[in-house]
Amino acid sequence: MFLDLAKALGGSSLSIWVQSHLWVTPLLQSVHIVMIGVVFVAILMITLRVLGKVGADETFATVWNRFSPWMWGGIGVMALTGLVLGIGEPVREASALSFWLKMSLIAIGIVSALAFGRTLRPLAYVGDAQFSGGAKFVAAGTVVLWLFIIFLGRAIAYDVEVWGSLHLG
Amino acid sequence: MDLPGIVQLIHDSALSEWLRSSLKAMPIVEAIHVMTAATVFGTILVVDLRLLGWPSTQRSFSRLHGELMRWTWGAFVISVITGVLLFVVNSVTYYGNTAFRLKMLALLFAGVNMFVFERVTGRDAAAWDKGPTPSSARVAGALSLTIWVSVLFIARWIGFTKGYDFSIPDNVNLDLNFGQ
Repeated sequence: MFLDLAKALGGSSLSIWVQSHLWVTPLLQSVHIVMIGVVFVAILMITLRVLGKVGADETFATVWNRFSPWMWGGIGVMALTGLVLGIGEPVREASALSFWLKMSLIAIGIVSALAFGRTLRPLAYVGDAQFSGGAKFVAAGTVVLWLFIIFLGRAIAYDVEVWGSLHLG
Repeated sequence: MDLPGIVQLIHDSALSEWLRSSLKAMPIVEAIHVMTAATVFGTILVVDLRLLGWPSTQRSFSRLHGELMRWTWGAFVISVITGVLLFVVNSVTYYGNTAFRLKMLALLFAGVNMFVFERVTGRDAAAWDKGPTPSSARVAGALSLTIWVSVLFIARWIGFTKGYDFSIPDNVNLDLNFGQ
């Protein structure tokens, strides 16, 4: 079903416009990669603060307030650029298992970031708050999750090589 | 042996042939290159924005710099290793690719800018550690930011100037020379 939708989308005027204007895809991919740097390091900084590896002289709330707007802003720009890139190559995206796994992990990453901020932020106004082992584990897991998301983003171009018969095309 | 000869030798090496024939190696190497490049850029961005005083200059520069640079350098080393592997795979094409050469030039500029900052501009950093940065430091931050964004843009452009990795629709006439 998704492949049929993708084929129809691939014939749309917007998709043809993206494909026929050669500067669009490289430009959007470049912005997408810059935003990967912004989002990933914002998450890394928040995680390292939870682990006590950076910003131990500041409250968690200070670090969260400094980096979370970058994280959400970057995710927003990535969603927009990713959407247009997907419209430009819908069949390639829809037939890639890496694409669907990436979307699933992004959904988990966004939900966990929302839950993470909501749960830990009130605790962190109390000076140099110590985080539980569980919180540290979840924080470190978030970084690993985003590393997988980056891997899957690159793996879309190599879907057959990476997944073999699991490729959806 | 001249440089093109060395590049051809790299292309003909066993490592190059193995990487080209391996199904799994390239996506893994490329993905690690993107991860580490993103980490290098992101951590440098944090330091550059502190130099530019945006959003504030309250955070101790020396502390921020000390905490982040170990991540920057760690990621940079891995990025160089994976970058070398990517070059080895397709060295002849990369060597003749203008975007690749521009990326190397931009990386050189980034290194010179960082060297000048560490040795000259940033030497009196203790004087403005928790306050507004002098204009020389702001210029270094702006230059660094511009150069590193350029590196990422040019790097992505390499993939589009050495051939396409997606199917071209029948009704589209792609201009492979970008209109030149």
